Amino acid sequence: MPQYMLALYDDPSGWKKLSPEEMQKSLEKYMAWGKRPYVVTGKRLAADLGRVLRSTNGKPRATDGPYSETKEVMGGIYLIEAKDYDEAVERTLDHPHLEHGTIELRQLYS
Amino acid sequence: MTAAELSNAPRGDADRDGDTGVLLEHLFRHQVGRVVAHLARVLGPARLDLAEESMQEAMLRALQTWPYQGIPENPGAWLLRVAHNSAIDSLRRSRFLDQNSGAVLAELTRATSIAPGAPSFEEQLRDDELRMIFMCCHPEIARDARVALSLKTVGGFSVREIASAFLADDAAIAQRLVRAKRQLRERRVTLDLPGAAELDQRLDSALETIYFIFNEGYAAHEGEDLIRRDLCFEALRLGRLLAASSIATPRVHALVAVIALQAARLPARIDEAGDSILLEDQDRARWDQHLIAEGFHHFDLSIAGEQVSEYHVQAAIAATYTQAANLRTIDWPAILDLYDQLLAISGASPVVALNRAVAVAKVHGPAEGLAEIETLRGDPQLRDYYLLLAVRGHLLQELGRPEEAAVCWSAALECRCSEPERRFLRRKLAGI
Repeated sequence: MPQYMLALYDDPSGWKKLSPEEMQKSLEKYMAWGKRPYVVTGKRLAADLGRVLRSTNGKPRATDGPYSETKEVMGGIYLIEAKDYDEAVERTLDHPHLEHGTIELRQLYS
Repeated sequence: MTAAELSNAPRGDADRDGDTGVLLEHLFRHQVGRVVAHLARVLGPARLDLAEESMQEAMLRALQTWPYQGIPENPGAWLLRVAHNSAIDSLRRSRFLDQNSGAVLAELTRATSIAPGAPSFEEQLRDDELRMIFMCCHPEIARDARVALSLKTVGGFSVREIASAFLADDAAIAQRLVRAKRQLRERRVTLDLPGAAELDQRLDSALETIYFIFNEGYAAHEGEDLIRRDLCFEALRLGRLLAASSIATPRVHALVAVIALQAARLPARIDEAGDSILLEDQDRARWDQHLIAEGFHHFDLSIAGEQVSEYHVQAAIAATYTQAANLRTIDWPAILDLYDQLLAISGASPVVALNRAVAVAKVHGPAEGLAEIETLRGDPQLRDYYLLLAVRGHLLQELGRPEEAAVCWSAALECRCSEPERRFLRRKLAGI
């Protein structure tokens, strides 16, 4: 079965507006989604923006994370199984993250 | 929701269902009260904001990591530890701004080394929460500010949730909280438990605040049902915390008895269609038996004292309703007698007088009841109160004056009332 990567983007400051009760409800929805049989794994990314490595004039260098126009940052990834993009989309459409941010869906070649 | 689910803040492994990884209902909300109370005691009440921010940070961290790593063994302790560390980090960053930060930091670091889950630590947390209740309910703070502060700081409600429960603007509630915190600072209110000399007055203020929160939730004029139900159970939780403490007096037990006995009827107040059901028509099988048992337990404990408070009489009224097997066996003369007592204690509270008028009608007939109602109609507090008009309409109908009854119910529909109450009035109007 092909695998798809979900990259979860959101604006971290948006979460601060939630009440404790809303946070718990949201957390429970994420956890329930993560338990679905077609979810292979999920990983949280560190809150900083990481580093970007590139060569300038043949010299490789690392700089602080990607500069972005938007406030949305990639916060986590999931791998899921699906037979094609249509099914992968269908399985992602009710992901609770869509109440807070966007999801980028990419097929992985195996 | 059962009594077990509503039991005091989670502790130990009880806050998690090991196999399914499901969190206890309201875990975050209740944990806010415990963690903020604990941090505020260590940091000092002047740093209440820092305590709140640290807990906020811990919950955000949970949100970011638990979906991927699973729920930790003891989620409550996890939140406490992360909030603790967050407070230490914040203090370190601002360490040179304030000379006593060093001492606080040492105390914070020492507190981390105490094993969460140990009985002594649990006791400490309960004690911290109790101190926080007394601070938030301090008589030096205005009542509306006291209520907002208690719900926010001890209850873990957000500004928006409090605003929706009280039909107020978010900004107005936020203002109230700012004012409350300023009053705490200006009057140098501490987190010390009240000493013997001021205990009565401080306890009165706390009980009044808790009862107000309950009544706001129970009266359900308008607004979201869910948040109002949450207010009722938050009041019950606070009452239980006081009742379980060493300073519990018979009056505290009386208050918990009223709240538990009335809350027991919440599931039966509304039918499947979401319509209001009168107490007399309620299906008693839907009353919460755990809460009734709890109510009577506290009612028994409340009798120990010499003094009869408003809460004692309210509890006796609720107990009388609850004890009746059905509508026909409600002991109305006993209830009327209790309302007479209540009126004598609580002065001339017009809402109590209205309830008394209903009892008068039951004991002496609708004409007598109506005569009582007529004396209350001019009261400014009751003038636009839908219940007075609804009751008056009901009595007029019983007296064979349907046109006048219809006028009353139509007028009641113009008043502030909940959607189920509105439908109830329309049904009455349609039935004429």
